[in-house]
Amino acid sequence: MPPSKEMIGRVLSTGSATVDAEHVASFAAALGDTNPEYETVAPPTYPIAFMTQAMSGGMNTFLELGLNFMTLVHGEQEFEFVRPVKVGETLELTGRIADIYEKTNSAGATLDFVVMETEGKDSAGKPVFYSRNVLISKRI
Amino acid sequence: MALDKNTVAVGTELPTLTKPAITRDTLKVYGPAAGDPNPMHVDEEFAKNAGYPGVFAHGMLSMGYLGEFLHKAAGGVANVRKFRARFAKLTWPGDVVSCKGTVSAVRDEGGKKLVDCDIWTETQSGEKKIVGTATLAL
Repeated sequence: MPPSKEMIGRVLSTGSATVDAEHVASFAAALGDTNPEYETVAPPTYPIAFMTQAMSGGMNTFLELGLNFMTLVHGEQEFEFVRPVKVGETLELTGRIADIYEKTNSAGATLDFVVMETEGKDSAGKPVFYSRNVLISKRI
Repeated sequence: MALDKNTVAVGTELPTLTKPAITRDTLKVYGPAAGDPNPMHVDEEFAKNAGYPGVFAHGMLSMGYLGEFLHKAAGGVANVRKFRARFAKLTWPGDVVSCKGTVSAVRDEGGKKLVDCDIWTETQSGEKKIVGTATLAL
């Protein structure tokens, strides 16, 4: 079953976590980025690791999308920052299905696109970052 | 060296960042650090069964390299405002990734100079792998 457009707008998962100094350090080390700022703030792409850590739920909704996991690829990623993510702060995340559409590729296969948007807010309820993630899977 | 807010203009090139060659170990370290358990990047058999010649790099690894390239060009993480990438082509073990970019627009906003950039990664063959845009506040 291809993804149903009726799922657009559904909250996929929510969760909160504290930005751990060691997690930030190991993420920066894996990128080989030795920026001394990382004692206090996280690297620009750190939200992708934090989202995985903070939002363990949502798997059922994700499976309900019916994407083909064998052909699933990360097509696009976008981050918008109100301010940097700080080491030691607790952020609350909400992930939502923003769009679902399909395209036909040059070989005539149908590609399913699912756009997921995640918002990270601080403990005062103020937005810190937005993430937009486009997943693509080929229908078989 | 970061971009200079007084001289930055359309067409200015961002300082290129070239990373060490990606190895299978790079991928084995990045996956767990990023919470990405996809075997496609570490398990040769799995990747071959999925129709690829072998394991390939996480798109987010190259985007992470672009993040380093951008905070260096912007003079700090707080100056990276927006950052978008499309994973157009796969990057493989052995590839040497260079991050490059040029300024596409400059505007004043709230005492800051907002700089839009076209950014991309390319490998030793000159092939562009991921392409995107960014907005820096200088």
